[in-house]
Amino acid sequence: MRRMAVPGLFDDYAVAPGTYDELFDAAGTPRAPFLRILELLGARTREDFARFQSLAERALLNQGVTFSVYSDTRGTEKIFPFCLIPRVISAADWAHVERGLEQRVRALGLFLDDVYGDQRILAERPELREIVLGTKLYLPQLRHVRPVGGVRIHISGIDLIRDQQGAFRVLEDNLRTPSGVSYVMEGRIVSKRVMPEIYEQARVRQVDHYPARLAETLRAVSPEDPERSTVVVLTPGPYNSAYFEHTFLARTMGVEVVHPADLFVDDDRVFVRTTRGPRRVHVIYRRIDDAFLDPEMFRPDSLLGVRGLMRAYAAGNVALANSPGNGVADDKAVYAFVPDMIRFYLSEEPVLQQVPTYVCNRAEDRAYVLDHLEQLVVKTVDEAGGYGMLMGPQSTREAREEFRERILAEPRRYVAQPRIELSSCPTWLAERQQVAPRRVDLRPYILTGPQGPWVLPGGLSRVALREGSYVVNSSQGGGSKDTWVQREAA
Amino acid sequence: MIARVAEHCFWLGRYLERVESTASVLEVTGTLALDAGLPPEQVWMPVVTVFGEHARFAGLHGPAAESDGEKVQHFMTWEEQNFSSLQASVVAARENARAIREVVSLECWEVINELYLWLRSEEARTEYTQHRYGFYRHIRRAAQLGLGLFPNTMLHDAPLDFIWLGVQLERVGQTARVLDVHHHAFKRLPSKHHVVETSLWLSLLRICSGFEAFMKRNQGKVTGDAVAAFLLFEPAFPRSIRHGLESAHRLLAEFHPAGAPGLPGTETVARCNELLERLRPDALSQPDATIHGLLTQVVDGTSAVCDSLSDEFFGTARLLGSQSMAQ
Repeated sequence: MRRMAVPGLFDDYAVAPGTYDELFDAAGTPRAPFLRILELLGARTREDFARFQSLAERALLNQGVTFSVYSDTRGTEKIFPFCLIPRVISAADWAHVERGLEQRVRALGLFLDDVYGDQRILAERPELREIVLGTKLYLPQLRHVRPVGGVRIHISGIDLIRDQQGAFRVLEDNLRTPSGVSYVMEGRIVSKRVMPEIYEQARVRQVDHYPARLAETLRAVSPEDPERSTVVVLTPGPYNSAYFEHTFLARTMGVEVVHPADLFVDDDRVFVRTTRGPRRVHVIYRRIDDAFLDPEMFRPDSLLGVRGLMRAYAAGNVALANSPGNGVADDKAVYAFVPDMIRFYLSEEPVLQQVPTYVCNRAEDRAYVLDHLEQLVVKTVDEAGGYGMLMGPQSTREAREEFRERILAEPRRYVAQPRIELSSCPTWLAERQQVAPRRVDLRPYILTGPQGPWVLPGGLSRVALREGSYVVNSSQGGGSKDTWVQREAA
Repeated sequence: MIARVAEHCFWLGRYLERVESTASVLEVTGTLALDAGLPPEQVWMPVVTVFGEHARFAGLHGPAAESDGEKVQHFMTWEEQNFSSLQASVVAARENARAIREVVSLECWEVINELYLWLRSEEARTEYTQHRYGFYRHIRRAAQLGLGLFPNTMLHDAPLDFIWLGVQLERVGQTARVLDVHHHAFKRLPSKHHVVETSLWLSLLRICSGFEAFMKRNQGKVTGDAVAAFLLFEPAFPRSIRHGLESAHRLLAEFHPAGAPGLPGTETVARCNELLERLRPDALSQPDATIHGLLTQVVDGTSAVCDSLSDEFFGTARLLGSQSMAQ
């Protein structure tokens, strides 16, 4: 059989040994569904591509598609590095992922209803009791409060990785304020602008209707007539690292961005202060953590937040997306029990695999973890962004000893997982002017309204730009790629 | 409209207009210095005075520096402590736009953001050193583009009205100060020197983008009184003080229509009315009337309008909210 030669850009591309490459098989042959795309991309010279890439970066900078770097006191804004070589997912693979995500989000929603309701699962599985009720993310004040509209996880981002066999696995659930969807849409605009002829032939499912779907999802849970409801995006302000996204979503949905000080509560109803007096607010897409929502309930000393907001919420006069208290379901220790939840609430087998997880709160798991620190990835359950982790295989003896003590002191706060090899994807390296494999993950976004979940085709593919790195977080040298989900062949 | 958003809109308009007028003052003064044959302090000192930055400039560079065109330009372009410098105004315009990113159209935002990025680039520094006129022109063009895009890409609605209110009130104050400072300086010319005086008046018209418009109205006859009257009263010239105040008045009437007592803005509209009263076309033919006296009233009156605007529409928005709730 003749080996398909892909000229140009991928000429000396070598698949990273021991990883699943998203676009090429182990022998370096393009995977069948992506042949056409790789031919078109590969036909570009490096000079062409370098020019494309700089056009793309210029466009992102001028549009202000940036995130703020907290460690930088001058409030510097950076663009999220963007690689124009897309991560492509075949129609068949996506159908599987979509089914799995819908199932998972449904089960997680039922779990939250249960935890804040009758707590059936805690009666059934006593070991979950301490794990669930013991976390500060559980809000006992909200027990028996049903959110208006009945939805708790309006917007979720479920992080997926692909193992050495190419199977998608869930790495993490984000059910509070997952960010990044604006980069998906901005990345898509740039791809279409810079390489229209390739995009046109690639048969990619569109993503630009996300804001309309989001607005519809939010309006659907309003306590009043959705058509006459006021929806707002609540931001902590321009210095928040995701501020660009808050304004992006408001702009594309045609709603207003508000700061906590713009809102006030009267008679358990929420109002926004306007130049023509107060106006009632029905749905708040809040991008503020639970703890800063309402000083009355959470932090009496806090100047942030909207006093009385939680009373209005409990009275059913305002919908909050996402509902407060969701953190109890995306906790890293609770994660270990999600397959059980799917069986318990839906009587189905999980469609998507996840990463085997040792919960240090269980004596048996803890003993195993302490014996195998060198092989495991240890995670603090309530930290995010790639912080509070021990990467066993790359760790020093001191770091392992430190984690051993921390685990023994507070076992509830730690879980451990075997290190799963992430898949890699051809990535443009500007400094070397060449394409090399870099590890990627995928965060799809799921919107859930009263009618059930809907998955945006694709999502944010984050890429670890540093050679050998597994860390894809934007705060730690990660970048992003456009994710192209292929349409079914006609 | 959210009160905080209204305030950002207002300041966005003011700062972008200020960028345009500062760049134009510097551009025109640079050209004037080439051929007016004036002593340097009479060319550059007025620039610092117009922006009310006399004390800060003297504090940083000493009073003698006022004749040093380079120092004045550097101060008015790059000095971050000078809130009227181009750098500071561009940063402030962008900060205000960024705070209400969902309100400002993408087209306007890109222009403001690109100007901000350009001003921080090596390219801008090089342009400043090697081609000063081109540098100012680049900034003016960007600001003009942004100002032109507001009404052409945004909904004609409250946010645009507040932006435009900021533009008009900034422009009125600026025109009044430029006219006053120049008028004052001319009087101190050693002797009546017709050619120098004419070139000074023409430069003033160029600062206000009014050269051609003035010529059309006055058939080429340039006198100090004619220029002053034109910049004060000409109803058809979009940068005359009268025109700016009337525009501001119309916008205010949108927010506070006569006979709508529940809405904020009573004091602001009253102050605007009062100032328009003083600006009748015959204002200068009254006994004891002087250009300087009238311009002082304009400068003070405009800042009084801005003060009550801020009280009535932005500052006390919180109170307004809770008061009407209590009813």
